[in-house]
Amino acid sequence: MKFDKKLLLLIGLVVILLLVPMMVTRPYFLHVIIMCLLWAYLASSWNIIGGFAGQLSLGHGIYTATGAYVTMMLFNTFGISPWLGLFVGGAAAVLISVLIGFPTFGLRGAYYALATVAISEGIVVIINSTHELGPFSVGGAEGLIVKMVGDSAAALQFSSKIPYYYLILFMLFLVIAVSYWIKTSKLGYCLIALKEDEDAAAAMGINVRNNKLIAAMISAFMTALGGVFYAVLIRYLEPNAIAGGSMSTQMVFLSIVGGSGTILGPVIGGILLSLISEVIRFYLGGQLMGLHLFIYGVIVLLVIMYQPRGIVALLGQIVQRFSGPKTVEGGVSGVKDSGA
Amino acid sequence: MKKRGTRFIGLLVTMVMLISLVAGCGGGGNSADKAKEIKIGTILPLSGSAAPLGKIGQQARDMAIEEINAAGGIKSIGGAQIKMIYADSKGDPATGVSEAERLITMEQVALLTGCYQSGVAMPSTEVAERYKVPYFVDVPSEDKITERGFKYVFRLAEKTSWRNRDQTKFITEMAKTYGTPVKTVGLIYENTAWGQGAVKAWEKYLPEAGLEIVMKEPYPTNSSDLTPVVLKAKQLKPDIIMMVSYVSDAALLTKTFAEHQVKPLAFIGTSGGFADPTYYDLAGNASEYYFDISTWEPDVNRPSSQDVNNKFKEKYGYAMNAEAVKAYVGMYIIADALERAASAEPEKIREALAATDINQGVTQMYAAQTKFDETGQMINAPIVICQYQKVDGKMERITVWPQEEARVGSHIVWPYPGAGK
Amino acid sequence: MSVVANGLSMGAIYGLIALGLTLIFGIMKIINFAQGALLMLSMMISYWLWKLTGLNPLILILIVGPIMFVVGYLCQRFLVRPVLDSEKNVREPVSVLLLTAALAIVLENLALMIFGADYVMAKTSFSEQTIALGAVTVSAARFYGLIIALVVAGVFWLFLQRTQTGRNIRATGQDRNAAALMGINVPNTFAIAFGLGTALLAVAAVALIPFYYVHPSVGQVFMTKAFIVVVLGGLGSVPGAILGGILIGLIESIGAQYMTATLTVVLVYAVFLMVLFVKPSGMFGSRYDW
Repeated sequence: MKFDKKLLLLIGLVVILLLVPMMVTRPYFLHVIIMCLLWAYLASSWNIIGGFAGQLSLGHGIYTATGAYVTMMLFNTFGISPWLGLFVGGAAAVLISVLIGFPTFGLRGAYYALATVAISEGIVVIINSTHELGPFSVGGAEGLIVKMVGDSAAALQFSSKIPYYYLILFMLFLVIAVSYWIKTSKLGYCLIALKEDEDAAAAMGINVRNNKLIAAMISAFMTALGGVFYAVLIRYLEPNAIAGGSMSTQMVFLSIVGGSGTILGPVIGGILLSLISEVIRFYLGGQLMGLHLFIYGVIVLLVIMYQPRGIVALLGQIVQRFSGPKTVEGGVSGVKDSGA
Repeated sequence: MKKRGTRFIGLLVTMVMLISLVAGCGGGGNSADKAKEIKIGTILPLSGSAAPLGKIGQQARDMAIEEINAAGGIKSIGGAQIKMIYADSKGDPATGVSEAERLITMEQVALLTGCYQSGVAMPSTEVAERYKVPYFVDVPSEDKITERGFKYVFRLAEKTSWRNRDQTKFITEMAKTYGTPVKTVGLIYENTAWGQGAVKAWEKYLPEAGLEIVMKEPYPTNSSDLTPVVLKAKQLKPDIIMMVSYVSDAALLTKTFAEHQVKPLAFIGTSGGFADPTYYDLAGNASEYYFDISTWEPDVNRPSSQDVNNKFKEKYGYAMNAEAVKAYVGMYIIADALERAASAEPEKIREALAATDINQGVTQMYAAQTKFDETGQMINAPIVICQYQKVDGKMERITVWPQEEARVGSHIVWPYPGAGK
Repeated sequence: MSVVANGLSMGAIYGLIALGLTLIFGIMKIINFAQGALLMLSMMISYWLWKLTGLNPLILILIVGPIMFVVGYLCQRFLVRPVLDSEKNVREPVSVLLLTAALAIVLENLALMIFGADYVMAKTSFSEQTIALGAVTVSAARFYGLIIALVVAGVFWLFLQRTQTGRNIRATGQDRNAAALMGINVPNTFAIAFGLGTALLAVAAVALIPFYYVHPSVGQVFMTKAFIVVVLGGLGSVPGAILGGILIGLIESIGAQYMTATLTVVLVYAVFLMVLFVKPSGMFGSRYDW
């Protein structure tokens, strides 16, 4: 019976999500929803290495940039469809993640985080000063303009927002599925083990570096796809916006505020937080300078202080309190499994 | 585990429903008073590091719109009042896109203006082009903005490369007039789209005029120290040093050049930071005799210029700058187009804008003739060169070139006599 | 020679900023992302005090230092500590890191709301002076900055070595559990360390304002550099922070003579990564930090 209920809810959710473009007719709102989903997607992609494996990468902007730039350079120069290009872009990101991963995974905690900051800042500078790369035009700081070809499914260019909505929705499902698979596979258990205690994990015979590398590669590939989506949606790549510090830290923020290391935490964090920031900007944007970002910062601050395990844990508690079995008392036990 | 999954999905369902409910209900039903009000959407950086520049653009627009509305609004549309709707781009391209999207589809503005940064203008004009809504670009100068074959984009500002073209012209003219041969040029520029664009143009125009580029030095915008760049220039000794900088780095460069007594024939800035009112506050006396390129100056010898600037000063407590003038004049050009279009339909406004040909009235403070070519680029956007000089012990920006627009009674100091001389 | 002199003076300032960071980083194992924003706050306060009182910025150290100590102490007491406590058993206190990052956003935008986004610079009596040492010219403001940095670092080092509080701080940094067993009040020591780290920023701020502009986002300019310096010099090491700062200053200054200034930034990151991979504990890091 419980299974039926779950299935029913799942179907209901999917149907509602599929129907969103019918309910939301204003392109602006749809655009906002698309951006929220994109952030949820990126936060989830980061979560694979940052949450599951506990490697605090502060340089994931490298991968969005790699995916976006490689795919769009192929498209601009050779007319290769982004559908094909995204595999090349994704592969390039995977390659880079391995190159970065080999030396850095020996570093622990704060050192790893700082190394990723240094690498990504360096790469932003390099993109900013690179105008041409072989036959490709990179554009330097002026940015890369995606060639316009009008409505074309092959080039992923649509004048309507609806196809983008379905695309990002599918991508979000994909990343949730991948997260679920990792979490329930042997890889997931290895990652949890090495996250808890690297030395103990190694002593138990887990190949720490390989497991981290695999997680990093998957994370890089997924993040790169997010970059490709950004590129086809915005159609203009500005190095600081796509590769810079704000892109990198935003993913981390959303994921941790939502609840890193969980499957749905980053999704919820991504959607909720980007929605909040958009609403605040909408109502307060033109007023006192800095007010909306100030409020945003305070909200994040409060969440971290009072719910360090993320919004997802908070939601878990709320749900538990209202619908949980009477035998379980609310509070901390809410986040534990109540069995089923 | 399973049970929790169920609850999460339930929660998610509720969340999605709430979001779509809010989204579906918001907006709507504001088309009642359309005839009496014409909405103009404006995208500006109202937060972030460029916020002060966004603010002065907003004030200039507000002043123009107050005047236009007070004078009876758009008469051909029954005295319709213009309503400005401001949106904050944060200086971020993606936010600019999302705001353009919102202004067009939610607020249903008749046209868009903005948006200070070229980086925001590039993608947000594309949105307007897609929805076929005119986009009046007043300040961004990136060449490519009007070189993409767009039909709905009009630019009042000059192209970036035109400034570099006129700087070159100015140098050769000065070299001849004052008998100081100029052979070499050093370029120092901040490493963003703006600086890199300028360098491309310089690399085209300077060699054409027989000048050799001996130093090409990009630096990161948020530099903590520019002394190394200055010391390099001191060693290479170019005849002319040309710079593209924002205000903080412009001031740092100026002060550091003075500290190390670097003495070329001339320092020439490329607007931006060198034109910022706080530049002098930051750089102090070191800014004396620096040249800068501009499109408007408070002392420029053009009709209406003084009056409008005085009014602005009275209203907001400080003088206009070239960007504010473009924003201000732009509103009058838009009002003129609306008057001729006699409609708030974007298509009609586009046609009217394309047919613009103004050679009288307050727009004279910017250009004698306002006219757009087929790409939407303002033809003959004006360019002047000014110099920081002390007048009665007080530092002022004095328009010195071209002769006919120069401040009455002004003279050029060439070559650079050295800091504190 | 001017190039070297400039590298030294700028590097000393970097070192001073890194000093505060190395203290917090080395002792609490927290990357304090609010460091830049706190530096900005110190610069803002210094600037306005200078503007209102007209005092020599160097005297302002005595006022701004204690103010920032209190700010830092309170930050630790009411923001960092509750989060740290709830994460006691987590190996990598990630939430604290995020907390400081969020604090940075809050502080920066608060400054934007209160002070506006204009660039300001203190024009002191010595702002435009230069000091000539033979053929070498150094700006007076930077020269004083160098002196302040070295003196403060020296005093601070003595404080850590010779006073009981200093010993407590070092003991807590080496092993907080052992320190607690020895009867050291660890939370209080943390708060003092955080306060001191912030007060050191105030010194850096006062040294900076005569020749550098103040702006709500000015902290970002120095923050990444401070991190690099801290890792280069070694966690918790006072001489490491100063020498690491000077090393970075010299790389920037000398490097820019042979390549463009933007590429020296990449060079700095490259040197940083190399040190990180070869000797992660930095030049002077103690083995206790591993």
